[in-house]
Amino acid sequence: MAELCGVVGVGQTQHDAKREDVSQVGLIREAAERALEDADLDWKDIDAVVIGKAPDLFEGVMMPELFLADSLGCAGKPMLRVHTAGSVGGSTAVVAASLVEAGIHDRVLTVAYEKQSESNAMWALSIKIPFSATVVAGAGGYFAPLIRGYMMRSGAPEDTGIRVAVKDRENALKNPYAHLKFPDISFEQVESSPMLWDPIRFLETCPSSDGACALVLSSEKLADQSKKKPAWVHSTAMRSEPTSFAGRDQVNPQAGIDCAKELYKKAGITDPRKEIDCAEIYVPFSWFEPMWMENLGFAELGQGWKMTYEGATALDGDLPVNMSGGVLSTNPIGASGMLRFGEAAMQVRGTAGEHQVAGARKAMGHAYGGGSQYFSMWIVGAEKP
Amino acid sequence: MSEPEPLSGPHVLEYTYKRSVGPVLGRFFTGLRDGRIEGVKTAGGRVLCPPMEHDPATGEATTDQWVEVGPGGEVKTWTWIAQPRKQHPLQKPFAFALVQLDGADSALLHAVDAGDEGRMSSGMRVKARFAEERSGRIEDIACFEPEDA
Repeated sequence: MAELCGVVGVGQTQHDAKREDVSQVGLIREAAERALEDADLDWKDIDAVVIGKAPDLFEGVMMPELFLADSLGCAGKPMLRVHTAGSVGGSTAVVAASLVEAGIHDRVLTVAYEKQSESNAMWALSIKIPFSATVVAGAGGYFAPLIRGYMMRSGAPEDTGIRVAVKDRENALKNPYAHLKFPDISFEQVESSPMLWDPIRFLETCPSSDGACALVLSSEKLADQSKKKPAWVHSTAMRSEPTSFAGRDQVNPQAGIDCAKELYKKAGITDPRKEIDCAEIYVPFSWFEPMWMENLGFAELGQGWKMTYEGATALDGDLPVNMSGGVLSTNPIGASGMLRFGEAAMQVRGTAGEHQVAGARKAMGHAYGGGSQYFSMWIVGAEKP
Repeated sequence: MSEPEPLSGPHVLEYTYKRSVGPVLGRFFTGLRDGRIEGVKTAGGRVLCPPMEHDPATGEATTDQWVEVGPGGEVKTWTWIAQPRKQHPLQKPFAFALVQLDGADSALLHAVDAGDEGRMSSGMRVKARFAEERSGRIEDIACFEPEDA
């Protein structure tokens, strides 16, 4: 990269099932104002805005970035929209960072959101097209067979997913912005929750949330001047693959493997488990934690579940994962990826509050979308790369 | 060999939405229900109608000062719809127009029932015709009509 990029502001909304107190405009503005406040900056300090959200079908507003522009101080400034399904929050941050790294803009505001209460995204993409194979079972129906595939390959104990869910839901109790909070969460509570898409139980599933996340990204010169410590972007990567092709491995997609490899290479990381202090990984269904641990090279093939089992991914483990409670606790789809990226930045800035990992110097943010086909990732550090 | 008949099958896609309009448009729609059109003031003193949560010129939040505007106003620009479709607000030829209501500094997009394209001109005076039954929607203004009608 030509220029260094620092995350100087992170903001997010109070996430909830229905934020009926605000419009879409009000929702993104809440996150953007908090990011600007965190960065000690004003609207006039921003050079360009990059907006991301999941498909327009989810709220039924075509190209909402056009009507949101006025409320994001975009008048007379470059504004760009990013589309990559559920991974979009991550990709949007990557695009915004690339504008700074390329030296095109010195300070970029990037925002991602979803207002799921305005429709029903669970079923939005489950359309029955004549003469075509169709799922019509929501996201869980799509991913459940992939989880079964993982269980068969790895021989992971049946309760691995329950353990992930308990861990993430306990972490959510430490995150003031998290949507779902179960104060008395226990193994028994998750185990006895209804089976939605075998083997995925109700409490092993992400919610539908209204929420937004925003980041302020600055060039090295400006980030050096910021009052609070920036999180330095060490590397970013994006990869995608088609939903289906002969020989596609949907349990362990090649695009995810390639994306992680490029990410580590750019960041000079050779042993991710050892060199990365904590990670916010896109886990909408509990079992995706062990699956992604393997896909991202944190564990050998077939061994990812052991990280969950041995407590390695717990808040006090050697690689804490989803300290914020993750997607399992908060899922405003378009924003979910940026929340992972933002939470990673909060960790290395030391601003994660109760869910802070002590001494975190290097953190990873990860997002995936579509049928496990779009990937975006970044690594941020407390020190300059 | 004869050409095979192409496959065809029905595909109806229906998807419902609802909107949380927020505090600013919420007040505007409530006013329409009561037969009142309101604009909101920006920090710089401009009156926006339809009201917005943020001033497009500055990006700052608009104020909590509200001003009743109209029901008369001026057509800034317009386009004639000679053959209305089922979804259009009027089922006879009409104009879509940007109407700057008296007391406002911005314009509202709505329908003008002028009867004939020849009666339309930029700068013409119009006034709001309210619907008899109102429920807090933009259709609570049935349309605008020439002030001299």
